[in-house]
Amino acid sequence: MSSTASTITELAAALRNGSTTPRALLDETLAHLERTDKHLNAYLSVTRDLAFQQADAAAKLLADHPERASPLCGIPMALKDVLCVDGVETTAASRILKGFKPPYTGTAVQRLFDAGAVCVGKTNCDEFAMGSSTENSAFGSVGNPWDVGRVPGGSSGGSAATVAAGTVPYSLGSDTGGSIRQPAALTGIVGFKPTYGRVSRYGLIAFASSLDQIGPFTRSVEDCATVYAAIAGHDPRDSTCDPRAVDDPLSTLRRGVDGMRLGVPREYLGEGTEPGVRAAVEAALKVLEAQGATLHEVSLPSTDVALSVYYVIAPAECSSNLARYDGVRFGNRVERPSLTDMYQQTRDAGFGSEVKRRVMLGTYALSSGYYDAYYRQAQKVRTLVGQEFDTVFQEVDAIVSPTSPSVAFPMGSRSDPLSMYMCDVVTLPANLAGIPGMSVPCGFVDGLPVGLQVLAPRFADARVFQVAHAYEQATAWHLSQSPFATEAA
Amino acid sequence: MTLSRDDVDHVAMLARLGLSDEEKSRLLGELEKILGHIARLQQVDTSMLAETAQVGDLVNVMRADVTEPPLGAAAALRNAPAADGNYFVVGAIQGNELDS
Repeated sequence: MSSTASTITELAAALRNGSTTPRALLDETLAHLERTDKHLNAYLSVTRDLAFQQADAAAKLLADHPERASPLCGIPMALKDVLCVDGVETTAASRILKGFKPPYTGTAVQRLFDAGAVCVGKTNCDEFAMGSSTENSAFGSVGNPWDVGRVPGGSSGGSAATVAAGTVPYSLGSDTGGSIRQPAALTGIVGFKPTYGRVSRYGLIAFASSLDQIGPFTRSVEDCATVYAAIAGHDPRDSTCDPRAVDDPLSTLRRGVDGMRLGVPREYLGEGTEPGVRAAVEAALKVLEAQGATLHEVSLPSTDVALSVYYVIAPAECSSNLARYDGVRFGNRVERPSLTDMYQQTRDAGFGSEVKRRVMLGTYALSSGYYDAYYRQAQKVRTLVGQEFDTVFQEVDAIVSPTSPSVAFPMGSRSDPLSMYMCDVVTLPANLAGIPGMSVPCGFVDGLPVGLQVLAPRFADARVFQVAHAYEQATAWHLSQSPFATEAA
Repeated sequence: MTLSRDDVDHVAMLARLGLSDEEKSRLLGELEKILGHIARLQQVDTSMLAETAQVGDLVNVMRADVTEPPLGAAAALRNAPAADGNYFVVGAIQGNELDS
Protein backbone atom coordinates (compact mmCIF):
# COMPACT_ATOMS: atom_id res chain seq x y z
CA MET A 1 0.00 0.00 0.00
CA SER A 2 1.53 3.31 -1.07
CA SER A 3 0.68 6.43 0.88
CA THR A 4 0.90 8.51 -2.30
CA ALA A 5 -2.47 9.65 -3.64
CA SER A 6 -4.45 7.28 -1.43
CA THR A 7 -7.54 8.26 0.51
CA ILE A 8 -8.00 8.15 4.27
CA THR A 9 -10.52 5.33 3.79
CA GLU A 10 -7.97 3.25 1.84
CA LEU A 11 -5.11 3.94 4.24
CA ALA A 12 -7.21 3.21 7.33
CA ALA A 13 -8.10 -0.18 5.83
CA ALA A 14 -4.47 -0.84 4.91
CA LEU A 15 -3.34 -0.04 8.45
CA ARG A 16 -5.87 -2.56 9.79
CA ASN A 17 -5.17 -5.42 7.39
CA GLY A 18 -1.46 -5.22 8.04
CA SER A 19 -0.41 -4.13 4.56
CA THR A 20 1.25 -1.03 5.99
CA THR A 21 2.22 0.62 9.27
CA PRO A 22 2.17 4.26 10.46
CA ARG A 23 5.98 4.30 10.20
CA ALA A 24 5.96 2.98 6.64
CA LEU A 25 3.32 5.52 5.62
CA LEU A 26 5.33 8.30 7.23
CA ASP A 27 8.57 7.24 5.53
CA GLU A 28 6.88 7.24 2.14
CA THR A 29 5.20 10.57 2.85
CA LEU A 30 8.43 12.27 3.89
CA ALA A 31 10.26 10.86 0.85
CA HIS A 32 7.52 12.13 -1.45
CA LEU A 33 7.50 15.49 0.28
CA GLU A 34 11.24 15.88 -0.06
CA ARG A 35 11.19 15.04 -3.76
CA THR A 36 8.21 17.21 -4.67
CA ASP A 37 8.47 20.22 -2.43
CA LYS A 38 11.48 21.72 -4.16
CA HIS A 39 9.09 22.24 -7.08
CA LEU A 40 5.99 23.19 -5.08
CA ASN A 41 7.19 25.07 -1.95
CA ALA A 42 4.01 23.87 -0.21
CA TYR A 43 5.71 23.54 3.19
CA LEU A 44 7.10 26.21 5.48
CA SER A 45 8.34 23.62 7.95
CA VAL A 46 8.55 19.83 8.14
CA THR A 47 7.76 18.50 11.62
CA ARG A 48 9.75 15.29 11.34
CA ASP A 49 10.27 14.66 15.08
CA LEU A 50 6.63 15.30 15.96
CA ALA A 51 5.54 13.05 13.08
CA PHE A 52 7.71 10.11 14.18
CA GLN A 53 6.50 10.49 17.75
CA GLN A 54 2.86 10.54 16.61
CA ALA A 55 3.37 7.63 14.18
CA ASP A 56 4.80 5.47 16.96
CA ALA A 57 1.96 6.35 19.33
CA ALA A 58 -0.54 5.57 16.56
CA ALA A 59 1.14 2.22 15.87
CA LYS A 60 0.86 1.31 19.54
CA LEU A 61 -2.84 2.21 19.67
CA LEU A 62 -3.57 0.26 16.45
CA ALA A 63 -1.76 -2.78 17.86
CA ASP A 64 -3.12 -2.65 21.41
CA HIS A 65 -6.65 -1.27 20.99
CA PRO A 66 -7.64 -1.28 17.29
CA GLU A 67 -11.30 -0.97 18.28
CA ARG A 68 -10.56 2.41 19.86
CA ALA A 69 -8.51 3.79 16.95
CA SER A 70 -10.12 6.51 14.84
CA PRO A 71 -10.06 6.21 11.01
CA LEU A 72 -7.47 9.01 11.17
CA CYS A 73 -5.11 7.08 13.44
CA GLY A 74 -1.63 6.74 11.93
CA ILE A 75 -2.45 8.74 8.81
CA PRO A 76 -0.14 11.59 7.71
CA MET A 77 -1.55 15.10 7.36
CA ALA A 78 -0.45 18.74 7.16
CA LEU A 79 -1.63 22.00 8.72
CA LYS A 80 -1.88 25.48 7.26
CA ASP A 81 0.69 27.63 9.03
CA VAL A 82 -2.00 29.74 10.71
CA LEU A 83 -2.86 26.86 13.05
CA CYS A 84 -0.99 26.84 16.31
CA VAL A 85 0.86 23.75 17.51
CA ASP A 86 2.57 23.87 20.90
CA GLY A 87 6.30 24.44 20.40
CA VAL A 88 6.16 24.18 16.58
CA GLU A 89 7.06 27.30 14.58
CA THR A 90 3.88 28.96 13.31
CA THR A 91 4.43 31.99 11.09
CA ALA A 92 1.19 32.68 9.17
CA ALA A 93 3.69 33.07 6.28
CA SER A 94 4.71 36.43 7.74
CA ARG A 95 8.16 37.79 8.56
CA ILE A 96 6.73 39.29 11.73
CA LEU A 97 6.09 35.80 13.17
CA LYS A 98 9.27 34.12 11.88
CA GLY A 99 10.48 31.99 14.78
CA PHE A 100 7.21 32.18 16.75
CA LYS A 101 6.52 28.96 18.66
CA PRO A 102 3.00 28.94 20.13
CA PRO A 103 2.62 28.01 23.81
CA TYR A 104 -0.45 25.87 23.11
CA THR A 105 -2.15 23.75 20.44
CA GLY A 106 -5.43 24.85 18.86
CA THR A 107 -8.61 22.84 19.46
CA ALA A 108 -9.26 21.54 15.92
CA VAL A 109 -5.63 20.42 15.67
CA GLN A 110 -5.67 18.87 19.14
CA ARG A 111 -8.78 16.85 18.20
CA LEU A 112 -6.93 15.42 15.20
CA PHE A 113 -3.85 14.70 17.31
CA ASP A 114 -6.09 12.94 19.86
CA ALA A 115 -7.48 10.86 16.99
CA GLY A 116 -3.93 9.70 16.17
CA ALA A 117 -3.08 12.05 13.29
CA VAL A 118 0.54 12.22 12.14
CA CYS A 119 1.47 15.84 11.39
CA VAL A 120 4.23 16.08 8.77
CA GLY A 121 4.42 19.84 8.52
CA LYS A 122 3.05 23.36 8.33
CA THR A 123 1.94 24.55 4.92
CA ASN A 124 2.61 27.74 3.02
CA CYS A 125 -0.20 30.28 2.53
CA ASP A 126 -0.86 33.93 1.81
CA GLU A 127 0.47 36.09 4.64
CA PHE A 128 -2.09 36.02 7.48
CA ALA A 129 -4.40 34.20 5.01
CA MET A 130 -4.87 37.38 2.96
CA GLY A 131 -4.96 36.48 -0.71
CA SER A 132 -6.32 34.20 -3.39
CA SER A 133 -3.13 32.85 -4.95
CA THR A 134 -0.58 32.18 -2.15
CA GLU A 135 1.68 34.70 -3.88
CA ASN A 136 1.47 36.92 -0.77
CA SER A 137 3.54 34.52 1.35
CA ALA A 138 6.69 36.11 2.76
CA PHE A 139 8.41 32.79 2.03
CA GLY A 140 7.77 32.33 -1.69
CA SER A 141 4.90 31.26 -3.92
CA VAL A 142 3.45 27.75 -4.12
CA GLY A 143 3.26 25.85 -7.40
CA ASN A 144 0.04 24.25 -8.58
CA PRO A 145 0.71 20.48 -8.94
CA TRP A 146 -1.17 20.50 -12.27
CA ASP A 147 1.12 23.23 -13.67
CA VAL A 148 3.85 24.61 -11.43
CA GLY A 149 3.88 27.88 -13.35
CA ARG A 150 0.37 28.57 -12.11
CA VAL A 151 -0.97 29.43 -8.67
CA PRO A 152 -2.72 26.84 -6.51
CA GLY A 153 -5.25 29.45 -5.38
CA GLY A 154 -5.26 30.82 -1.90
CA SER A 155 -4.96 31.61 0.77
CA SER A 156 -4.57 27.94 1.81
CA GLY A 157 -2.48 27.16 -1.30
CA GLY A 158 0.10 24.95 0.41
CA SER A 159 -2.55 22.81 2.11
CA ALA A 160 -4.32 22.34 -1.23
CA ALA A 161 -1.14 21.70 -3.21
CA THR A 162 0.20 19.00 -0.88
CA VAL A 163 -3.06 17.02 -1.08
CA ALA A 164 -3.28 17.49 -4.85
CA ALA A 165 0.37 16.41 -5.14
CA GLY A 166 -0.52 13.15 -3.40
CA THR A 167 1.86 13.74 -0.49
CA VAL A 168 -0.77 13.57 2.29
CA PRO A 169 -4.42 12.45 2.05
CA TYR A 170 -5.67 15.45 3.97
CA SER A 171 -4.78 18.82 5.41
CA LEU A 172 -6.45 21.66 7.26
CA GLY A 173 -6.91 25.17 5.93
CA SER A 174 -8.90 28.24 6.89
CA ASP A 175 -11.56 30.00 4.83
CA THR A 176 -12.41 33.68 5.36
CA GLY A 177 -13.65 34.53 1.84
CA GLY A 178 -13.00 31.31 -0.06
CA SER A 179 -9.51 30.35 1.10
CA ILE A 180 -10.37 26.62 1.30
CA ARG A 181 -12.91 26.24 -1.52
CA GLN A 182 -11.08 28.27 -4.18
CA PRO A 183 -7.68 26.49 -3.83
CA ALA A 184 -9.52 23.12 -3.69
CA ALA A 185 -11.15 24.02 -7.02
CA LEU A 186 -7.89 25.19 -8.58
CA THR A 187 -6.02 22.03 -7.56
CA GLY A 188 -8.76 19.46 -8.28
CA ILE A 189 -9.53 18.28 -4.75
CA VAL A 190 -12.31 18.53 -2.15
CA GLY A 191 -12.36 21.49 0.25
CA PHE A 192 -14.97 22.32 2.86
CA LYS A 193 -15.81 25.47 4.82
CA PRO A 194 -18.15 24.51 7.67
CA THR A 195 -21.00 26.64 9.04
CA TYR A 196 -19.64 29.58 11.03
CA GLY A 197 -19.47 28.38 14.63
CA ARG A 198 -19.14 24.67 13.83
CA VAL A 199 -15.38 24.35 14.29
CA SER A 200 -13.52 26.04 17.13
CA ARG A 201 -11.04 28.73 16.09
CA TYR A 202 -9.12 28.48 19.34
CA GLY A 203 -5.51 28.39 18.19
CA LEU A 204 -6.24 29.78 14.71
CA ILE A 205 -4.31 32.98 14.01
CA ALA A 206 -7.17 35.43 13.48
CA PHE A 207 -7.67 37.29 10.19
CA ALA A 208 -11.35 38.40 10.23
CA SER A 209 -13.09 36.89 13.22
CA SER A 210 -16.69 37.18 12.02
CA LEU A 211 -15.77 35.26 8.84
CA ASP A 212 -12.93 32.79 9.61
CA GLN A 213 -13.61 29.05 9.68
CA ILE A 214 -11.25 26.05 9.74
CA GLY A 215 -11.91 23.16 7.36
CA PRO A 216 -10.38 20.17 5.58
CA PHE A 217 -8.85 19.46 2.15
CA THR A 218 -9.17 15.84 1.00
CA ARG A 219 -9.27 13.66 -2.13
CA SER A 220 -12.80 12.39 -1.54
CA VAL A 221 -16.02 13.71 -0.05
CA GLU A 222 -16.14 10.75 2.34
CA ASP A 223 -12.65 11.60 3.65
CA CYS A 224 -13.76 15.20 4.05
CA ALA A 225 -16.70 14.04 6.18
CA THR A 226 -14.37 11.93 8.31
CA VAL A 227 -12.05 14.87 9.04
CA TYR A 228 -14.90 17.34 9.55
CA ALA A 229 -16.61 14.95 12.01
CA ALA A 230 -13.36 14.78 13.99
CA ILE A 231 -12.87 18.56 14.31
CA ALA A 232 -16.46 19.85 14.59
CA GLY A 233 -18.36 20.53 17.79
CA HIS A 234 -18.55 22.79 20.76
CA ASP A 235 -15.44 24.20 22.43
CA PRO A 236 -15.77 26.48 25.44
CA ARG A 237 -12.48 28.14 24.42
CA ASP A 238 -14.11 29.78 21.38
CA SER A 239 -17.16 31.76 22.47
CA THR A 240 -18.50 31.78 18.89
CA CYS A 241 -18.40 27.98 18.72
CA ASP A 242 -21.95 26.65 18.72
CA PRO A 243 -23.08 24.17 21.39
CA ARG A 244 -25.70 22.42 19.21
CA ALA A 245 -25.02 18.73 18.47
CA VAL A 246 -23.22 18.10 15.17
CA ASP A 247 -25.11 16.03 12.57
CA ASP A 248 -22.85 13.15 11.54
CA PRO A 249 -22.13 13.77 7.84
CA LEU A 250 -21.14 10.11 7.33
CA SER A 251 -24.55 8.74 8.31
CA THR A 252 -26.35 10.70 5.56
CA LEU A 253 -23.55 10.69 2.98
CA ARG A 254 -25.12 8.10 0.65
CA ARG A 255 -28.69 9.32 0.61
CA GLY A 256 -28.32 10.86 -2.83
CA VAL A 257 -30.08 13.86 -4.34
CA ASP A 258 -33.27 12.20 -5.63
CA GLY A 259 -36.09 14.67 -5.06
CA MET A 260 -33.76 17.39 -3.86
CA ARG A 261 -34.30 20.95 -5.06
CA LEU A 262 -31.05 22.59 -6.17
CA GLY A 263 -30.79 26.31 -6.81
CA VAL A 264 -28.49 27.80 -9.45
CA PRO A 265 -27.91 31.51 -8.80
CA ARG A 266 -27.77 33.32 -12.12
CA GLU A 267 -25.34 35.88 -10.63
CA TYR A 268 -22.84 33.05 -9.90
CA LEU A 269 -22.54 32.25 -13.61
CA GLY A 270 -22.11 35.86 -14.62
CA GLU A 271 -20.04 37.50 -17.32
CA GLY A 272 -16.76 37.00 -15.46
CA THR A 273 -17.09 33.20 -15.61
CA GLU A 274 -14.65 31.61 -18.08
CA PRO A 275 -16.48 29.67 -20.84
CA GLY A 276 -14.72 26.41 -19.94
CA VAL A 277 -15.71 26.74 -16.28
CA ARG A 278 -19.29 27.47 -17.27
CA ALA A 279 -19.40 24.42 -19.55
CA ALA A 280 -18.00 22.12 -16.83
CA VAL A 281 -20.50 23.39 -14.26
CA GLU A 282 -23.43 23.12 -16.67
CA ALA A 283 -22.44 19.51 -17.37
CA ALA A 284 -22.27 18.90 -13.60
CA LEU A 285 -25.79 20.26 -13.19
CA LYS A 286 -27.01 17.73 -15.76
CA VAL A 287 -25.36 14.94 -13.76
CA LEU A 288 -27.20 16.04 -10.63
CA GLU A 289 -30.44 16.26 -12.58
CA ALA A 290 -29.92 12.71 -13.85
CA GLN A 291 -29.60 11.64 -10.20
CA GLY A 292 -33.12 12.90 -9.53
CA ALA A 293 -32.48 16.45 -8.34
CA THR A 294 -34.53 19.29 -9.79
CA LEU A 295 -32.75 22.47 -10.86
CA HIS A 296 -34.15 25.92 -10.19
CA GLU A 297 -32.75 29.21 -11.36
CA VAL A 298 -32.56 31.51 -8.35
CA SER A 299 -31.30 35.02 -7.79
CA LEU A 300 -28.92 36.47 -5.20
CA PRO A 301 -29.07 40.11 -6.40
CA SER A 302 -26.50 41.42 -3.91
CA THR A 303 -23.71 39.11 -5.11
CA ASP A 304 -21.91 41.99 -6.83
CA VAL A 305 -22.10 44.34 -3.86
CA ALA A 306 -21.16 41.48 -1.49
CA LEU A 307 -17.59 41.82 -2.77
CA SER A 308 -17.57 45.43 -1.54
CA VAL A 309 -19.08 44.38 1.80
CA TYR A 310 -16.35 41.81 2.19
CA TYR A 311 -13.56 44.24 1.29
CA VAL A 312 -14.71 46.59 4.02
CA ILE A 313 -15.49 44.08 6.77
CA ALA A 314 -12.53 41.73 6.30
CA PRO A 315 -9.90 44.54 6.22
CA ALA A 316 -11.62 46.30 9.16
CA GLU A 317 -11.47 43.17 11.28
CA CYS A 318 -7.92 42.40 10.17
CA SER A 319 -6.71 45.89 11.03
CA SER A 320 -8.03 45.30 14.54
CA ASN A 321 -6.79 41.69 14.86
CA LEU A 322 -3.32 42.55 13.58
CA ALA A 323 -2.87 45.36 16.10
CA ARG A 324 -1.42 42.70 18.40
CA TYR A 325 1.72 42.42 16.24
CA ASP A 326 3.50 45.30 17.90
CA GLY A 327 6.86 43.79 18.78
CA VAL A 328 6.09 43.47 22.48
CA ARG A 329 4.67 40.07 23.48
CA PHE A 330 5.61 37.92 20.49
CA GLY A 331 6.92 38.22 16.98
CA ASN A 332 9.87 40.21 15.79
CA ARG A 333 10.86 43.69 16.93
CA VAL A 334 12.83 46.47 15.29
CA GLU A 335 14.54 48.23 18.22
CA ARG A 336 14.00 52.00 18.41
CA PRO A 337 14.38 54.37 21.37
CA SER A 338 10.82 55.68 21.02
CA LEU A 339 7.94 53.26 21.57
CA THR A 340 5.84 54.62 18.69
CA ASP A 341 8.81 54.44 16.37
CA MET A 342 9.41 50.84 17.51
CA TYR A 343 5.78 49.91 16.71
CA GLN A 344 5.91 51.59 13.31
CA GLN A 345 9.26 50.18 12.22
CA THR A 346 8.42 46.70 13.55
CA ARG A 347 5.17 46.59 11.60
CA ASP A 348 6.74 48.12 8.50
CA ALA A 349 9.51 45.54 8.44
CA GLY A 350 7.27 42.63 9.50
CA PHE A 351 4.25 42.94 7.21
CA GLY A 352 4.13 42.39 3.45
CA SER A 353 2.42 44.69 0.98
CA GLU A 354 -1.01 42.99 0.87
CA VAL A 355 -1.24 42.95 4.68
CA LYS A 356 -0.30 46.64 4.81
CA ARG A 357 -2.86 47.43 2.10
CA ARG A 358 -5.63 45.71 4.05
CA VAL A 359 -4.62 47.17 7.40
CA MET A 360 -4.67 50.62 5.78
CA LEU A 361 -8.02 49.99 4.09
CA GLY A 362 -9.55 48.62 7.29
CA THR A 363 -8.17 51.38 9.49
CA TYR A 364 -9.53 53.95 7.06
CA ALA A 365 -13.00 52.30 7.02
CA LEU A 366 -13.07 52.36 10.81
CA SER A 367 -11.65 55.84 11.26
CA SER A 368 -13.56 58.82 12.52
CA GLY A 369 -15.65 60.39 9.77
CA TYR A 370 -15.70 57.27 7.58
CA TYR A 371 -17.07 54.64 9.96
CA ASP A 372 -20.74 55.21 9.07
CA ALA A 373 -20.18 55.42 5.33
CA TYR A 374 -18.03 52.30 5.10
CA TYR A 375 -18.09 49.96 8.09
CA ARG A 376 -21.64 50.52 9.32
CA GLN A 377 -23.01 50.57 5.78
CA ALA A 378 -21.15 47.33 4.98
CA GLN A 379 -22.62 45.68 8.08
CA LYS A 380 -26.10 46.66 6.94
CA VAL A 381 -25.59 45.36 3.42
CA ARG A 382 -24.20 42.19 5.01
CA THR A 383 -27.67 41.71 6.52
CA LEU A 384 -29.14 41.94 3.02
CA VAL A 385 -26.73 39.29 1.71
CA GLY A 386 -27.86 36.94 4.51
CA GLN A 387 -31.54 37.67 3.87
CA GLU A 388 -31.18 36.82 0.20
CA PHE A 389 -29.74 33.40 1.08
CA ASP A 390 -32.61 32.86 3.58
CA THR A 391 -35.14 33.62 0.86
CA VAL A 392 -33.50 31.29 -1.64
CA PHE A 393 -33.24 28.48 0.92
CA GLN A 394 -36.99 28.64 1.43
CA GLU A 395 -37.30 27.42 -2.15
CA VAL A 396 -34.32 25.11 -2.56
CA ASP A 397 -32.42 22.62 -0.39
CA ALA A 398 -28.96 23.60 -1.61
CA ILE A 399 -27.20 25.90 -4.08
CA VAL A 400 -24.79 24.71 -6.77
CA SER A 401 -22.44 26.95 -8.74
CA PRO A 402 -18.85 27.28 -9.91
CA THR A 403 -16.39 27.66 -7.02
CA SER A 404 -14.19 30.06 -8.95
CA PRO A 405 -14.92 32.03 -12.10
CA SER A 406 -11.57 30.91 -13.52
CA VAL A 407 -9.16 28.00 -13.50
CA ALA A 408 -5.67 28.35 -12.01
CA PHE A 409 -3.98 31.44 -13.46
CA PRO A 410 -0.28 32.00 -14.20
CA MET A 411 1.83 33.32 -11.35
CA GLY A 412 2.22 37.08 -11.48
CA SER A 413 -0.74 37.57 -13.81
CA ARG A 414 -2.97 39.37 -11.29
CA SER A 415 -0.78 42.09 -9.88
CA ASP A 416 -3.72 44.50 -9.61
CA PRO A 417 -5.30 44.06 -6.15
CA LEU A 418 -8.87 44.45 -7.43
CA SER A 419 -8.49 41.75 -10.08
CA MET A 420 -7.20 39.41 -7.35
CA TYR A 421 -10.15 40.29 -5.10
CA MET A 422 -12.55 39.27 -7.91
CA CYS A 423 -11.36 35.65 -7.47
CA ASP A 424 -13.61 35.30 -4.43
CA VAL A 425 -16.80 36.74 -5.88
CA VAL A 426 -18.80 33.47 -5.62
CA THR A 427 -17.19 32.14 -2.44
CA LEU A 428 -17.17 35.13 -0.06
CA PRO A 429 -20.97 35.56 0.17
CA ALA A 430 -21.09 32.25 2.09
CA ASN A 431 -18.68 33.69 4.67
CA LEU A 432 -20.75 36.84 5.02
CA ALA A 433 -23.86 34.66 5.63
CA GLY A 434 -22.03 32.06 7.76
CA ILE A 435 -23.31 29.16 5.64
CA PRO A 436 -21.37 25.96 4.83
CA GLY A 437 -19.79 25.43 1.40
CA MET A 438 -17.75 22.83 -0.41
CA SER A 439 -15.81 22.59 -3.63
CA VAL A 440 -15.77 19.20 -5.37
CA PRO A 441 -13.90 18.44 -8.64
CA CYS A 442 -16.16 18.74 -11.71
CA GLY A 443 -13.90 18.70 -14.76
CA PHE A 444 -10.91 20.22 -16.51
CA VAL A 445 -10.21 23.06 -18.91
CA ASP A 446 -6.99 22.49 -20.87
CA GLY A 447 -5.69 20.19 -18.15
CA LEU A 448 -6.59 22.54 -15.29
CA PRO A 449 -9.18 21.52 -12.68
CA VAL A 450 -12.62 23.08 -12.22
CA GLY A 451 -14.58 22.98 -8.97
CA LEU A 452 -18.30 22.75 -8.30
CA GLN A 453 -19.43 24.68 -5.24
CA VAL A 454 -22.26 23.33 -3.05
CA LEU A 455 -23.85 25.65 -0.47
CA ALA A 456 -26.55 24.89 2.11
CA PRO A 457 -28.27 26.72 4.98
CA ARG A 458 -26.51 27.29 8.29
CA PHE A 459 -25.99 24.01 10.20
CA ALA A 460 -27.05 21.93 7.17
CA ASP A 461 -23.40 20.92 6.74
CA ALA A 462 -24.36 17.25 6.33
CA ARG A 463 -26.54 18.17 3.33
CA VAL A 464 -23.51 19.71 1.60
CA PHE A 465 -21.69 16.38 1.95
CA GLN A 466 -24.75 14.49 0.68
CA VAL A 467 -25.01 16.56 -2.53
CA ALA A 468 -21.25 16.61 -3.16
CA HIS A 469 -20.97 12.87 -2.57
CA ALA A 470 -23.83 12.07 -4.96
CA TYR A 471 -22.13 14.16 -7.65
CA GLU A 472 -18.67 12.76 -6.95
CA GLN A 473 -19.82 9.14 -7.09
CA ALA A 474 -21.56 9.70 -10.42
CA THR A 475 -18.36 11.07 -12.00
CA ALA A 476 -14.68 10.19 -12.09
CA TRP A 477 -13.10 13.64 -11.80
CA HIS A 478 -11.92 13.06 -8.24
CA LEU A 479 -9.89 10.05 -9.44
CA SER A 480 -7.74 12.21 -11.77
CA GLN A 481 -4.26 12.61 -10.37
CA SER A 482 -1.84 15.49 -10.80
CA PRO A 483 1.57 14.62 -12.32
CA PHE A 484 3.11 14.82 -8.83
CA ALA A 485 0.66 12.25 -7.47
CA THR A 486 1.28 9.67 -10.17
CA GLU A 487 5.02 9.53 -9.50
CA ALA A 488 5.93 6.61 -7.24
CA ALA A 489 6.95 7.60 -3.72
CA MET B 1 -13.56 59.03 -3.96
CA THR B 2 -10.55 61.22 -3.61
CA LEU B 3 -7.98 60.36 -1.04
CA SER B 4 -5.25 62.81 -0.15
CA ARG B 5 -1.69 62.17 0.84
CA ASP B 6 -2.61 63.60 4.26
CA ASP B 7 -5.29 60.92 4.61
CA VAL B 8 -2.71 58.24 3.92
CA ASP B 9 -0.32 59.77 6.46
CA HIS B 10 -3.10 59.96 9.05
CA VAL B 11 -4.28 56.36 8.52
CA ALA B 12 -0.70 55.06 8.54
CA MET B 13 -0.21 56.79 11.89
CA LEU B 14 -3.44 55.29 13.27
CA ALA B 15 -2.35 51.84 12.10
CA ARG B 16 1.20 52.37 13.42
CA LEU B 17 2.67 51.53 10.03
CA GLY B 18 5.95 53.26 9.30
CA LEU B 19 5.61 53.33 5.53
CA SER B 20 8.20 54.75 3.14
CA ASP B 21 7.25 57.67 0.88
CA GLU B 22 7.27 55.34 -2.07
CA GLU B 23 4.89 52.90 -0.33
CA LYS B 24 2.57 55.75 0.62
CA SER B 25 2.40 56.99 -2.96
CA ARG B 26 1.65 53.49 -4.24
CA LEU B 27 -0.98 52.92 -1.52
CA LEU B 28 -2.64 56.23 -2.30
CA GLY B 29 -3.36 55.08 -5.85
CA GLU B 30 -4.34 51.53 -4.86
CA LEU B 31 -6.63 52.58 -2.03
CA GLU B 32 -8.34 55.16 -4.21
CA LYS B 33 -9.07 52.49 -6.78
CA ILE B 34 -10.38 50.02 -4.17
CA LEU B 35 -12.48 52.69 -2.45
CA GLY B 36 -13.85 53.68 -5.84
CA HIS B 37 -15.03 50.11 -6.32
CA ILE B 38 -16.43 49.86 -2.80
CA ALA B 39 -18.39 53.08 -3.35
CA ARG B 40 -21.22 50.99 -4.83
CA LEU B 41 -22.11 50.19 -1.21
CA GLN B 42 -23.51 53.70 -0.91
CA GLN B 43 -26.08 52.96 -3.61
CA VAL B 44 -27.82 50.28 -1.52
CA ASP B 45 -30.89 51.45 0.37
CA THR B 46 -30.21 50.29 3.91
CA SER B 47 -32.83 52.39 5.69
CA MET B 48 -34.74 49.23 6.72
CA LEU B 49 -31.70 47.06 7.49
CA ALA B 50 -30.11 46.37 10.85
CA GLU B 51 -26.36 45.83 11.07
CA THR B 52 -24.89 42.34 11.11
CA ALA B 53 -21.91 42.23 13.46
CA GLN B 54 -21.86 38.44 13.66
CA VAL B 55 -23.86 35.66 12.02
CA GLY B 56 -24.11 33.35 15.00
CA ASP B 57 -27.07 33.60 17.34
CA LEU B 58 -25.11 33.10 20.55
CA VAL B 59 -25.27 35.97 23.02
CA ASN B 60 -23.42 36.64 26.25
CA VAL B 61 -21.46 33.41 26.24
CA MET B 62 -20.16 32.76 29.74
CA ARG B 63 -18.21 29.99 31.35
CA ALA B 64 -18.49 28.78 34.92
CA ASP B 65 -16.80 31.22 37.31
CA VAL B 66 -14.09 28.82 38.41
CA THR B 67 -10.36 29.29 38.27
CA GLU B 68 -8.39 27.23 35.81
CA PRO B 69 -4.64 26.79 35.52
CA PRO B 70 -3.31 29.81 33.61
CA LEU B 71 -0.81 29.73 30.76
CA GLY B 72 1.91 30.80 33.17
CA ALA B 73 4.52 33.52 32.89
CA ALA B 74 7.27 31.33 31.47
CA ALA B 75 5.12 30.15 28.55
CA ALA B 76 3.69 33.64 27.99
CA LEU B 77 7.17 35.14 27.82
CA ARG B 78 8.69 32.43 25.67
CA ASN B 79 8.16 34.41 22.46
CA ALA B 80 8.86 37.87 23.83
CA PRO B 81 11.40 39.88 21.79
CA ALA B 82 12.73 41.18 25.15
CA ALA B 83 11.88 39.97 28.66
CA ASP B 84 13.23 40.45 32.15
CA GLY B 85 12.11 38.04 34.84
CA ASN B 86 8.34 37.93 34.66
CA TYR B 87 8.08 41.09 32.57
CA PHE B 88 8.02 42.15 28.93
CA VAL B 89 10.61 44.82 28.24
CA VAL B 90 9.46 47.86 26.24
CA GLY B 91 10.91 51.29 25.56
CA ALA B 92 9.99 54.28 27.70
CA ILE B 93 6.57 55.69 26.91
CA GLN B 94 7.27 59.17 28.29
CA GLY B 95 7.91 62.04 25.90
CA ASN B 96 6.30 60.22 23.01
CA GLU B 97 5.89 62.57 20.07
CA LEU B 98 2.52 61.08 19.05
CA ASP B 99 1.02 60.99 22.52
CA SER B 100 1.37 64.71 23.12
